[in-house]
Amino acid sequence: MRIRLAIVAIALGMSAGSAWAHHSFSVFNMQTEVSITGVVKEVQWTNPHIFIWVDVTGEDGAVVTWGLEGMSPNFLARRGWSRTTLEPGDRITVSLRPLISGDPGGMFISTTSPDGVVLSMGGGREGAGGQ
Amino acid sequence: MQHRMTALLMGLGSALVATSAMTQWAVYEQPTAADWAALAELPDFSGVWERGGGGGRGRGAAAGAPGAGRAAGAGAGRAAGGGGRGGASPTPEYAALRDQLRATPAPNQMANCLPPAMPGIMSQPYPMEFLITPGKVTIILEAFTQVRHIFTDGRELPEFPDPTFFGTSIGHWEGDTLVAESVGFNEFVTIGGIPHSDELRIIERISLLDPDTMVIETTFTDPLALTEPYTTSATFARHRDWTIAEYICEENNRNFVTSDGEEGIILDNPGGQPPPPN
Repeated sequence: MRIRLAIVAIALGMSAGSAWAHHSFSVFNMQTEVSITGVVKEVQWTNPHIFIWVDVTGEDGAVVTWGLEGMSPNFLARRGWSRTTLEPGDRITVSLRPLISGDPGGMFISTTSPDGVVLSMGGGREGAGGQ
Repeated sequence: MQHRMTALLMGLGSALVATSAMTQWAVYEQPTAADWAALAELPDFSGVWERGGGGGRGRGAAAGAPGAGRAAGAGAGRAAGGGGRGGASPTPEYAALRDQLRATPAPNQMANCLPPAMPGIMSQPYPMEFLITPGKVTIILEAFTQVRHIFTDGRELPEFPDPTFFGTSIGHWEGDTLVAESVGFNEFVTIGGIPHSDELRIIERISLLDPDTMVIETTFTDPLALTEPYTTSATFARHRDWTIAEYICEENNRNFVTSDGEEGIILDNPGGQPPPPN
């Protein structure tokens, strides 16, 4: 996990809701925030949204892969992220808006690195709607 | 034989007339050194612009914008009202159409990577870049990798434009303000949710509010759909150290909307391209 201090800044006061430009939030439960802990399986640093896949091991030992949608790489790259900010093998705890469908996935809100740096997709106006 | 020669000459004659009619469009002529030099007199729109600036994100106060010029014409003064928050005022017929649209909204095709139309394409959370060349202003929009062409070569707007997402645009400079006029919009264009008629015109007045803040004042006129022109404004902040990035929406689009308007997300096949939705 290569983290630059610049990332701290993006966690603060960034108006992010509008950055989810290309679809609405209807698939996510925007009223709920849940947290998962697991190991990064893959980072897809792609448009129109990045996807971070996290393997979460349940109490029964079964591994479930969660798909977490983030902002666009364009938006994030201008705010301190890079495609190697999170890397496969990183153990992370992510807060997210879960899918209404109940499938293992959601909208990535933020994670905190082991040394306490907050990595946020933006916070702010989630739920402001697409467009 | 004689007739054929005459016909040929007449044909040539028509072609010559057509050619001379077209060459009044300077864009078809090789720009001269003077044409390029003249661009230096225009305001500096270079760099990359992102929504915001001028006192915050979103809608900026256009009131007092230098160069805004308050074009003579009904409704221009409404811009001072703070980004047109009051909303456009539809005629009864178009108010009914708007209500109908609200009751049965069309699926948000942006989830399927269809770009937003005017005016939404101008307010995306992605930056844009202006290229000013002789006879034309080109706007490169990062969102959905789109381009707008504003011809400043003196041509006129087409009488019967094809309906498109961004319309057909011409522009001219009024002092330091680029005034772009667009016609010919498809059904994806609405005026804040109000459908439009074929008579919709969008006038954009683009100028610098301060050295690194751009203001775009956008006025909608549609005598069939609106009781009066409707004006909004937005500000944009310059980022000289940014470049427009690639945005290929289809690269890894896991969102979709069905023809019934149901939105979903595709989680299958992590590590590969998402399968197409059925």
